[in-house]
This record gives sequence, C-alpha cells and structure tokens, in this order.
Amino acid sequence: MRLLEVKNLKKIYTTRFGGNQVQALSNVSFSVEQGEYVAIMGESGSGKTTLLNILASLDKPTSGEVFLDGKNIVTIKDSEISAFRRDNLGFVFQDFNLLDTFSIQDNIFLPLVLAQKNYQEMNSRLGPLAKRLNIEEILKKFPYEVSGGQKQRAAVARALITQPKLVLADEPTGALDSKAAMNLLKIFSAINELGQTILIVTHSVAAASHANRVLFIKDGEIYNQIYRGSMSNDDMYQKISYTLSVLASGGEDCE
Amino acid sequence: MNKFFYPRLALVNLKKNGNTYIPYILTCIGSIIAFYTMVSIHSNKGLDQMPGSINLKTILFLGIIVIGIFAVIFLFYTNSFLIKRRKKELGLYSILGLEKKHIARVLFYETVFVTVISLSLGLIGGILIGKLLFLLLLNIVHFKSPLSFHIDYWGLLITTGVFLVIFGLTLLTNFLQVKLSNPIDLLKGGQHGEKEPKSSWIVTVIGLVSLGAGYGIALSVKTPLEALMLFFVAVVFVIIGTYALFISGSITLLKQLKKNKKFYYQSRNFISVSGMIYRMKQNAVGLANICILSTMVLVTLSTTVSLYVGQEGMRRDFYPMDVSIIGEAGNTDFDEVKALLESEKEKLMVRSSDEISFDLARFRAFQEGSHFLKDMVDDESTDARYYERISNITLIPLDDYNRLTGGNKSLAENEMLIFSVGDNYGQATIVFGDQQYLITEQLEAIPMDFKKTQDMGQTYYLIVKDDAVMEAVYQTMKNDDDPQTTLHALMFNLDGDEDTLNTFSANLRTAVTQSNPDINIQNLYEALTELYFFFGGFLFLGVFLGSLFMMATVLIIYFKQISEGYEDSERFEIMEKVGMDKTEVKKTIRKQILMVFFLPLAGAIVHVAFAFPVITKMLAAFRLTNVTLIFLCTLAGVVVYALVYTGVYLLTARSYYKMIH
Repeated sequence: MRLLEVKNLKKIYTTRFGGNQVQALSNVSFSVEQGEYVAIMGESGSGKTTLLNILASLDKPTSGEVFLDGKNIVTIKDSEISAFRRDNLGFVFQDFNLLDTFSIQDNIFLPLVLAQKNYQEMNSRLGPLAKRLNIEEILKKFPYEVSGGQKQRAAVARALITQPKLVLADEPTGALDSKAAMNLLKIFSAINELGQTILIVTHSVAAASHANRVLFIKDGEIYNQIYRGSMSNDDMYQKISYTLSVLASGGEDCE
Repeated sequence: MNKFFYPRLALVNLKKNGNTYIPYILTCIGSIIAFYTMVSIHSNKGLDQMPGSINLKTILFLGIIVIGIFAVIFLFYTNSFLIKRRKKELGLYSILGLEKKHIARVLFYETVFVTVISLSLGLIGGILIGKLLFLLLLNIVHFKSPLSFHIDYWGLLITTGVFLVIFGLTLLTNFLQVKLSNPIDLLKGGQHGEKEPKSSWIVTVIGLVSLGAGYGIALSVKTPLEALMLFFVAVVFVIIGTYALFISGSITLLKQLKKNKKFYYQSRNFISVSGMIYRMKQNAVGLANICILSTMVLVTLSTTVSLYVGQEGMRRDFYPMDVSIIGEAGNTDFDEVKALLESEKEKLMVRSSDEISFDLARFRAFQEGSHFLKDMVDDESTDARYYERISNITLIPLDDYNRLTGGNKSLAENEMLIFSVGDNYGQATIVFGDQQYLITEQLEAIPMDFKKTQDMGQTYYLIVKDDAVMEAVYQTMKNDDDPQTTLHALMFNLDGDEDTLNTFSANLRTAVTQSNPDINIQNLYEALTELYFFFGGFLFLGVFLGSLFMMATVLIIYFKQISEGYEDSERFEIMEKVGMDKTEVKKTIRKQILMVFFLPLAGAIVHVAFAFPVITKMLAAFRLTNVTLIFLCTLAGVVVYALVYTGVYLLTARSYYKMIH
C-alpha cells in the first residue's frame, strides 16, 4: 500500500525584492510504501531540506502534489494543518528541538497535550515506548541534564507517541557521536521492523545504510535510488559510498 | 592596525545593538536631565529670597539624593542587562582573535561614546527642560514675581562628575565580566542550561507572614502619630514580603499547579505553567522591582496630589481667622497696634472684617480624666500617649465672651463653660491643681475657633467668671517658659486680592514688631506662602520622582520583553513544528505576557489599597482629613498609572510579537 506519493514537486524561491529566483526542487516524484524505511541523500544545497519541509507541511511547493495516505497535504487548509501534522507526522530533528522548560516526559507529552488527550492515555502510551527507547530513567530530568543521545531518543519518543503514519527525520545523527548515532540507527531499524514507516534525510552514509531504500537527490531532482534487496548494512554502505562518489564526480554513468 | 579601528568598531557595535542601546542612552539622558534639573533648581539664588524656601530646599535636596541613588541602581541594572545580551558577540570577537585587552578597548570606546552622547544631550536637555520645570515649580508654589533661571555651571560640573563616576563604574563591571570569562562561556553566555527553579516553602511562608504583618500594621493604625512612626516598618515588611512572594511564592504556586495532572496536562495550561515557572525564575526580582516601584509611584503621586489639592481646605484648620495678634496684656499697647493696623490698611486699601478682641490665657496640660496636670504622672506611657494626653487650653473671661456673642450668660466663681474643638469634653467637672470647677454648659460654637478633627491631644476653650479666676487658674497651671501675665488677642479677617494681602501682611508684621518685639502675629497669608512652598514642593518632587520611576518601570519592562522575545521565538518555533497552530501560539503568548505584565501592577494596586488607611492617617497629621478627596486622588493616580502601563504593554507586546514571527 502506498503511504506517501510525491508527484512532480517543484519549488522556486524568490528573493525578497523579486529579481533572483532559485530553483530548489525542479521535478521530484517518488513514493513510499507502508512500512518502508527510506533515506534521502544529497549534498548541501541539493534540495533535501526543502523536500522535507514540504513533506512536513511546513512549506508549500510551487507546483506538484503530495499525498499522504491518499490525502493531498498541499491543499490542506492552514487552519487544519497543525492538527494534521500532529496526527499524522512525527518529527526528529538534527538539533533535537526539545524545550528547556519541560522535563523529558513533558517534552514527549507535548504533541498529545496539544491534541488534548487525557493524562491516563498519555501515560499508558509512554510506558512501553520509554522502555523500548531506554529512556525510563531520564523521564523526570530536563533536556540540559542528559546526553545528546538521550535527547535524541527522547525526541524519537516524542515523534512516536502520537502513533504517526510517517516519521520524518532530518539529519537525526548529525549532532551525535558515532556510538550514540549507531544506537539511534538501531532504534530506527527496530521501530521500522515493528511496521513504522520512516523517511530520513541525511548525508551520513552510515545513517543511510540502515534504510531499505536510498534516494539520491541532486540539483533538485531524484538522481538515482538504491534498493537494499538482500544486502547487509555493510554492502549497503559500500554501494552508497560508490554512488555518492559517482554523484560527486559528475555522474555521467551510474549502474 | 588603524588607530581608528577600535572607535569605529565600538560605534558599529552601538548601532547594531540599537534596539537595546538607544533605550539605554535615553535612560542615561533622562537621569542626567533629572539630576541636573534638581541640582540647578536647588542652587538657584533667587529661590533663597523667597520666604519659606527653606522647606522647599530641603525637599529638593532630598530629591537630589533620591535621584542620585536611583541613577546608580538603574544604570547598573540596565548596563548589566545589556552586557549579558552581548556576551555571545564578545565571545565571537575573542574567537576571531581579539584579545581581552582589545575587547576591553572596544568596551572602553563604547562607554566613551555613550557617555559623550548622554552627557551632552542630557545637559542640553537639562538646561532647556530645567528652565521649564523651574517655571512649573514657581507656578505650583504660587510664586508670582519672575525669577531668572540661569545656566548653573556649578550644577553642570556636579552632574558631569557624578555621571562620569557612574559610567566609569559600569565600565569597570563590564571589564570584570570580560576578564572573568573565557570565550566559550561568553559564546554560551545567553544560554546557560536553565535549571528548574527550586521553590522553598520557608521563603514563601516568610513572604506571606511579612506581607501579612505589613498589611496588618497598615490596617491597625489608629492615630496619625502611629501612622508616621509605623509606616516605614510596614513598608519594610511589605517589601520583604513582595520579594519573597515573587521569588518563591510564585514558583511554589506554579509547582502545585504542575502537580495537579488533570489541570497541568491541558493544552492551555501546559505551556503557560511551565513557561511561567521558567520565566518567574529569571524575572521574579525584576517583577518584584516593578511592583515596588509602581507602588512607590502610586503612593507618592496620590499623597502629594492629595496634599496639594487639599491644602485649600487645610489652611482654615490652622488659622480660624486670617490674622491674629496676641500680646501680653500688661506689656502691649493695643491702641498703638490698632493705630498701626489702620494706617497699614489705609495705605494698601485693604479692608478687614469680623474683628474681635478679647483677653485670654493659654497653657498646656496633661489630661487625666477630668484632672488637668502640669506634668505627666503616668510613666509607662509611650511617646504616642504623651502627645495624645497633651491638651491646649485657652481661658476667656465671661464678659468678653458675652460681648462677642451678644449673650448674657452668667457664671459663679466655680463654674465654667467649655468648648472643645475635637470630641466633646463629656465630664461634669474640671480640675486644675486642687481646685474643682463645674462645667455648666458644653458650647457648640465659639467666635474664635470651630469644630474640627483633632489628631494629637485636645484643644479646649474655657469661659471663666472673670479676670480674677482666669489669673488664678493661669498662675496655678503655667509653665516656666510661659508669659508672666495673661494675654490679649486681636483677630480679624481680610478682604482683597491675594497679592495685596501678601504685601499688607508683610508690612503689618514689620510695623507692629518694630515697637512690640514680643508680640505674636499669626497670619494666614504669610502661612499660605509657606504652605504653598511646602506642599507645592512636595507635589513637584512627587510628580518628578513619579515620572522618573515610571520611566524606569517602562524601561525594565521593555528590556524584559526584548530579551524574552529572542528566547521565546526559538521555543515557539519548536512548538509549531510539533503541531501547535499559529493562533494557539498567539493565544499562549498573549496569556504569558499578560500575566507577567499585570502581576506587578495588580500587586502594586493591592499594596496601595492596604496602604490607604495609613496614608489617610498620615495625611491627617498634615491636617488633611478629607478621606473622599484622598480616595479620589489615589483612584485617579491608579487609573492614570494603569493607563500608561497598559500603553507600554501594548507597545512592547507588539515588538515582542514581531520578534516571535
């Protein structure tokens, strides 16, 4: 079943006083199946973040359509967009984006509180999640009291607690040391195995090598994609590295 | 390196940080204007020639001290705020390779620029506004003849000196900040991990108790004297209570709210409560400052305005008749005094009316029921009781009374009539020494005085059978420093315009005292000048300081909003990403600002409400007993203040919203 379908996405930024136009996405189409784990790779300026922002409904495309579970998120009214985002999407950011004013637990509860769920329900959802992510001990602590890895796991918990259709992760290992990064990637794989659809944007080869499929984006277009098939993570890693170097050297021939 | 590098960098910095430095410089200019104005008015030579200017000068001197202290505290506060906000920038400089001494040099030039701009504009402003304010002051104190107001070089010098010292000290603290920190700290200066504040029940309880004590004192005060003595005790209690409650009580309360899961995990409370906990930690002291400053502004304004507006009513209390001339019966030639009076009246075409003259004897005694004593016997009595017991007694012979009232009452040797200015006497007899007299009648009115509220001790007029009885009582009761003989009084009212009457009063005093140096002349018009100076001076200072404090409050609020805007914008961005919509964000912001803003104002209004009984009692000591008038003045003060405050709120809230989005 197709969970996400992106069709002919185009995004042009116009500088504030008219004049210069920058094309961030020229023509992007792809789809993500239910339960898939997809990584999008590309260099800085390739349009990754723009794509992610559009998928996250934080930004609108100049043209094109995005269907999430059959619903076109481009045409959702502004007044409904926050609720839509809250109910259907989970976010993990590079810099965690945890609020200093809340304890870890309250940070995780935040989307549910905004959705006006009652406390019992929030608590019953948190229990198993915290156990799986191994953050039970730090729930009462504040973000500035815990390590980067713990913060990111808390952020993952916040993304998952709403039971979203799709988890969007923007460079989730970017601010973590290699050990914490590996730990987080294992967690992503584990939750994916439980059926959670994940889409991560990264330029870490290690991060991408955990995905089922890797999309490469260059100059605002999907350039290539790699399916895992039966490859191990290490094979995946080799293949991604190769593709990236081809991409960087100009990419006349691929495959 | 180009020798203009540092000055130029400093100038660029000031421009770049304009939205905080411009208000800072305006604060400096305002303080300098205020200080110079006070100094120059205080040292104005023309003021010395005016009667009653001593009081005014004392009041103005008080003003100089208050403004000086205020300027030091306030400029330090704003400066520390500015430097905290700029830590990141300074850290960046040191990472880019500026050594600490170079940064110090930049800071030095910045301070030099700020100093030069503030001092030059402040002094020019002071010279211009000072003149305006001086004219205003003269108007308030009803001083008609024009006085020149020169540029006061001495004042310029003092002001420059004082503010150079203040700026120097702020620069030193900035140096210290830079010296004590390393680049990483500086870079992160703005974003130290915010620990959740600890609340302390003890501090909260102390706060509640001391606020309760302050309010309790304010409510239990019975007499003006108690009010004057206990007011400052109450103020100290209330200040302690305010700080404790803002610092700890607020957090204790919020934490309790947080513990209530049902309440806390509602989307409208969730963000506000945790945001407020965090915010109260940073701002408790600032908010308490605003609360106390606001209270000060309100109390100052309401008392001074009440006094000024109420003085018309007060003056009659001091002087039942416009002029009273009292001299020793044997030693003063009243025919001569009368002749002098007539000739002075003729010179200026002044007319008098209600003229009365009578014999009298006056003394003080301590009242113990119906017994009046020369000395007090009750040693355990406090000072307050001492003043409450003391009574002023005037004896008047019956035939003078009958003549003035046109009545024909009669009295026996041991009988008296009594008129009490305050509460009725209420006893059937009155005892002087070992002699007891019967009170045959409690009079309701008397020609030379009238009923009014008495705040310290009582004032009695006793009508006695004749001069002999008067003499006898007087000789028993008189103290060593009282005149040897009984007295004679001449009292009358004046008609005419105030200027002429002022001149007349002065001329009369000169003429009469020339031949009779011991004579006592009380003149409403002379007293009025003094009253105007006294209450006008107070009003001037009250409004002046009130505006200054108001400026301070406004600036504290402005700086607070700006700094919070930067921090909050990040926070609300995250919330939007997590799924909070814009209208919710706006609502939450509004709720937070409202709470932060109006908590101090609400606190100040409650303080003023509790202070009101004390204020009325204190003003009663100044003979202002019109509670309705005081209430209206206070109310007007509160309304005006709340309006200004709300205006500031609207302005800053707007720039805050802009920052968030």
